[in-house]
Parts: sequence; C-alpha cells; structure tokens
Amino acid sequence: MLQILIPILVDALANAALIFFVAVGLTLVFSVLRILNVAHGSFYSIGAYAAASLGLWIIGSGLPAWLTFPSLLVSAALVAGIFGPAIERTIVRWTYGKSEAVQILVTFGLFLILEDLQRIVFGVNSLYEDTPMGLLGSVTFGGVVYLNYQLLLIGLAILTIVGLKFLIGHTRLGRLIAAVVADREMSQAMGINTDRVFMIAFTLGIFLAALGGALATPTSGVTPGLGADTMVLAFAVAAIGGLGRIEGAAVAALIVAVARVLAIYYLPALDAVAPYIVMLVVLLIRPYGLFGSVAARRI
Amino acid sequence: MSMFRRTFLAAGALCAAALTGATAQAEEKPSVLGIGVFSFTSGATAAYGLPGRNAAELMVEQINAAGGINGVPLQPTFVDEAQGTEGVITEFRKLSADKTNEIMVAALSSGNCMALAPIVDELKIPTVGWNCDTHQLFAKGAHPYYFRPNGNTVPEFLSFALYLLSVKPDVKRIAIINPDYAFGHDAANIFIAAIKRMKPDVEIVAELYPKLGSATFQTEISRLTAARPDVVFSNLWGGDLENFVRQATPRGLFSRSQVIFALGESSLQNVTIPEGVIVGVLGDGWWKSPDATSNPEAKAFVEAYRAKYGAYPVFPAMKMANSFLYVKHAYEAAMKTNGGKWPSRDEVAAAMRGSVVKTLTGTTTTREDNDGIVDQIVGMTTTSPDLPFPVLGRMARYDGKALMPPMNSDPIGWISSLPDGFAATQPQPGSYQ
Repeated sequence: MLQILIPILVDALANAALIFFVAVGLTLVFSVLRILNVAHGSFYSIGAYAAASLGLWIIGSGLPAWLTFPSLLVSAALVAGIFGPAIERTIVRWTYGKSEAVQILVTFGLFLILEDLQRIVFGVNSLYEDTPMGLLGSVTFGGVVYLNYQLLLIGLAILTIVGLKFLIGHTRLGRLIAAVVADREMSQAMGINTDRVFMIAFTLGIFLAALGGALATPTSGVTPGLGADTMVLAFAVAAIGGLGRIEGAAVAALIVAVARVLAIYYLPALDAVAPYIVMLVVLLIRPYGLFGSVAARRI
Repeated sequence: MSMFRRTFLAAGALCAAALTGATAQAEEKPSVLGIGVFSFTSGATAAYGLPGRNAAELMVEQINAAGGINGVPLQPTFVDEAQGTEGVITEFRKLSADKTNEIMVAALSSGNCMALAPIVDELKIPTVGWNCDTHQLFAKGAHPYYFRPNGNTVPEFLSFALYLLSVKPDVKRIAIINPDYAFGHDAANIFIAAIKRMKPDVEIVAELYPKLGSATFQTEISRLTAARPDVVFSNLWGGDLENFVRQATPRGLFSRSQVIFALGESSLQNVTIPEGVIVGVLGDGWWKSPDATSNPEAKAFVEAYRAKYGAYPVFPAMKMANSFLYVKHAYEAAMKTNGGKWPSRDEVAAAMRGSVVKTLTGTTTTREDNDGIVDQIVGMTTTSPDLPFPVLGRMARYDGKALMPPMNSDPIGWISSLPDGFAATQPQPGSYQ
C-alpha cells in the first residue's frame, strides 16, 4: 500500500507546487485590483520561455551550469519588471471599476496579443532546458525515482506561502495592500497611493505566474499554447480556494493536484477533467470557494 | 416564343457552352499542378511534422528540376495542422475551391484525416493521406478519393507485438502510454489484441493517454514506474516523445523496463534515446535501411535532404517523399491510359487504385479499398560508428501483406483469428541486414 501511497503523495505535492505559483498570482491580482486577469496564464508561458532561453544562452556561452538556477528567478523578475508596470498603467488601469464583462474582454484581448508576441519572439517550436534538473540528481521513494528538483519545487512553494503571508501581515507594503483590499476609498482618503499599490500588486502577481513558468521549465518542455492550458487550471484552483485567498490557493492547488494524480493512477480517462469535476463539486457546495465568503476581508 | 423564353433558352445555351468549355479545359495541360500539403509545422508536434514538410519541398524542387510531371511543374501550398481540425477543414475547402489545386497530400494527424474524409468525398478531390495511420479511416465506409499509400495501424502495431515477443518471450506485464486521440487508442487496441492473441497470460498493468502536446509527463512516469512493467509501449511522437524521453531518462524508466517507441526513429537525431529501446518507422521508411542504402535514388534524396536541412530524413520525411512519388506515378499512369492527355481527377484516382509503386524505401501496393500495403521495419537502438546518434540495429522487415487484414474485415477479429504459431513464421530480429 505504501508503495503506491508515497508516489501519489509526492506526485501530488510536486504538481500542487507548480499550480500554486500561478494560481496565487491570479488570486492576489483579483483581491487587490478586483479584476479577473484572463491574460495571467500568458505570463506563466512567457516566464517559461524566458527561463528556457536564458538557460540555453548560459549553457551555450560556456558559463557555469549552476547559473541556470538563479537564471530561473532572474527570468521571472525580468518578465515582471518589463510587463507588470507597463501593462498595469497602459491597459489594466482603464478597466478598474468597469463591469466584469469589460475586464474580461480587455484582458482576453491582452492574452491574444501576448500569445502572438510569444510566437514572434520565441518562435513556434518547443524549447527544452533541463540543466537544473540534471544537476540536482534523483532520489527514490516507494520504489519510484523522483528528481530532487521536484522536491525543491515543493520547498519553494512552501517558502512562497510563508513569504506572502509575512509580506501581507508583517510589512508596510503588506499593510498598505491589506488596507486597499479592505476599503479602497477609505485608503485613498487616508493618503495611501492606491495607484502605486495596484501597480505593485499586479507586478507581484505577474512575477508569481512567471516564476511558476520558469520553475516548470527544467522538468517540462515549453511549447506554444502553454499559457491557455495553465490559465484554465489556475482559474479552477483560484475558484476552488476562493478568489482572493492565499491559503485557499495553496489548499486548492493541493486538492486539484491530488485529483489529477489519482485520475492518472486509477482513472486515466478522467485525467483532463478531474480538476474541473472537483471545481464543480466545491462550487455547488460552497459557491464562494473553500475559503471564500461574501463579505469576508480578503488576503 | 416569348421574349422571356428566348432569353432563358439563350442563357441556358451559354451555360451549356461554358460547362463544355470547362470540362475540356480540365483535361488540358495546366500551367502548374497545385498541391495542398498538410503537416504540423509549429508547436510540439512540429518535431515530427517539419521533416515531412521539408521532404515535400525537396521533392517538389527535384520533380520540377526534372521537368515536372509531363512538363507541368508542381506548385505546393503548405498548411499547418497545428491550427486545429476546424482550421484544417477550412484550409482544405479553400484550397480545393481553387481549380489550380488538383490534388491534396493530407494529412499528418489521424484525427484530421478522419475529419477530412467526408470533405474529400464531397469535393471529389484525390487526396493522399501521407501519414494517416488509423485503420478506422476505411473501416467505417469507403472514401473513393482518399488514398493511403503508407499503411495503417494494424500492420504497424502488430509488427511491434511480433518483435517484442521475439526479443522478450517471457514478458508478463506491459504498460502503455499513448496520446489521447484516435491514433493512440487504435494503436493500443491493436497492440494489446496482438499480444493477447500470441501470449494470453500478459497483463496490461497501466494504460495512460495524456493529451497530445502535454508539456510534462512526470506523474505519468511515476505511474508507469509504480506499475513495475516489464515493457512500456508508447506511440508518443514529435515533441511529446522528446519530452517524455528527457523526463523519463533521469527517472530510470529505461533501466527498469524494456521500452518500445513505435515512432522512435523520428526523434533519434533530436534527443538521446538510450541503447536497447525498440523503435520503428511505421512502415518501411528508414533512410538507412538495406533497401534504401542500395537504392541510388534514395541515397541521392538522403544526401540532398542532408545538404538542404542539415539533418537526415527521418521516417516522416521518407513517408512524404514516397507520397510524392505515388502522386507522380498516378499522373503518369493515368496519362499512359488516356493517350497522353492531362488526366481528370477521376482518372488520377483510378490510377491510384490498385497501383503498385516503387518508392525510395520499398514498394507500396494500393488495394481496392484505397488502403496501402507496405512492409514494416522494426529494430532496436544501437550506437553507430559513423553517426553521432543511435540507429536501428537487430532489424526485422515484416511483409506488409502478411500483417494486413483482408478488406472489410474487423481488424481486432482478424488478429484474434491469427493461427497458432503465426509469430514463428515471421522474420526474426536481426534477419534484415
């Protein structure tokens, strides 16, 4: 029994870690800016392309292979730095306070633009860069060989949860974000620069999505269309956890990952739909998600 | 006669004259022969589809350089199948509406071939399924204008069962990981039916069907390993296959199980497939096979391909090249039959049916149901003294006719009815040298 339980657990945690990064970014942006960013998945794939390209350049240039580790973080930071402030100021800002339909249409348009932009910049063929995976080696659990890199991802996801909770609860920026989330008008009246908070939160959301994509590259290929697949899954996770809840995103990512892994192990035909079956069941029972509520303070 | 009636009759006469003219024009030699060529040229599947597209481009160049077909140069229009089936159908209809395009070479994906079949019937345009493998294409009805010179899933995957039982007769546990569409499921059904017929005590311990174009197979690899199979069978292809190999290698899958990659030859130059993996070419299109290397035309094609694209032509490229030879042969045969006139679409289709065409890598025989019979080459990866990537060793070349079910028969039923000792009558690994 343990021989099958351990692989299921490790696989679920490794899956959950990757889903978490992109879902928590989505939920952070929603909680602060009150917009559902349909283009969020594109930043996951741009992060993946950037990390793969940078990694390939490092290896191609003969630089030390260990540099491919920090390059994952640098790629995500670059993507967030380039796209975050620019898109928030030029496109997203105009949708604040507008109807959800307008926000979804605008961000969907942005998604289409970003998808084409990726094809222009990175080409239409797949990229592979797995140096970090190879450098860390492997370990055996329950008779199944796992990559140490997969375990590193689990650790990084836990670190991110702790870091985000610390940021929101114990830093000045976190308190500003919490204030804006609680009452936007009152925050403005108190002198908080809400425009700046919005821009920072949006950029942080993009960073998390890009980081998810970058961290995924060593154990997967990067192909056109990755953003759309990721976006749909991130929506499901955010909806299950309750939009706007960090801990909700973490728990929901784990639930979705367990559902997917169980499907692959026992009902492979349901692999693709397992997350959405879970979402359907959760939303039927709790329409605002596991951690969501109508009037609760978010974040 | 009223004015209206006279005008009506005159218009009718004009239409009749125009139609007669059009018919006559269709039999006149055109300035170019337009060909729609469908393949995957972007995304994860491009690793398999691009060599096919490249081979089409090269074949057109070579045929045109030699004077075209009876003096008519070929003019290809390439269509990327990565746009999805709806887009493929739209492009097919659009190209067919252009009278310059008299023939189609479509498609790579079995799913797209199945979707195109009724369109081909409706438009009555001769279409060569250069990579359509699913046996379902002709199992659910005739398609008089659709031709498949490259064989189908039944001989292809029956050959892997034969090869496996030759090299690993004690196999007990088999796991399968195939793409989640017609080709993946058909291949699994054929392979399982063949194995069960020849070795009934084999247990299928896992059957996984990840989505085509999946970026990661980590969970699937865990599942496969946890199932502890003696053999892992897969017909993943293109970027999926390369991804799978990259992810499975460090996780020890190849050292724990005998792996079969039915389409493995197509990735030998792109990713390091370990030694001892059973790989095939879904037909006889191995550019380095004894037949190909002893054929001067094949050698010239391989050299030209290598010079132009910097790689050797993997089997999708050979399949495409053979498809163009098939098209050329059909036009030439049709013209021979009709006294040298440029053939109509019906005449081209008639020339394809029942044809026996010598290709770069063997022979393709088209049956009355438009399905092609080709030999099947299966081998095992081994190092090459003169190439920087693995090649096929211990090859067996199975007679396509022996592995092909009769027309209008249920393939699974036919496999189940194979006589005892059938495997013993087939070529053994290493016999094709």
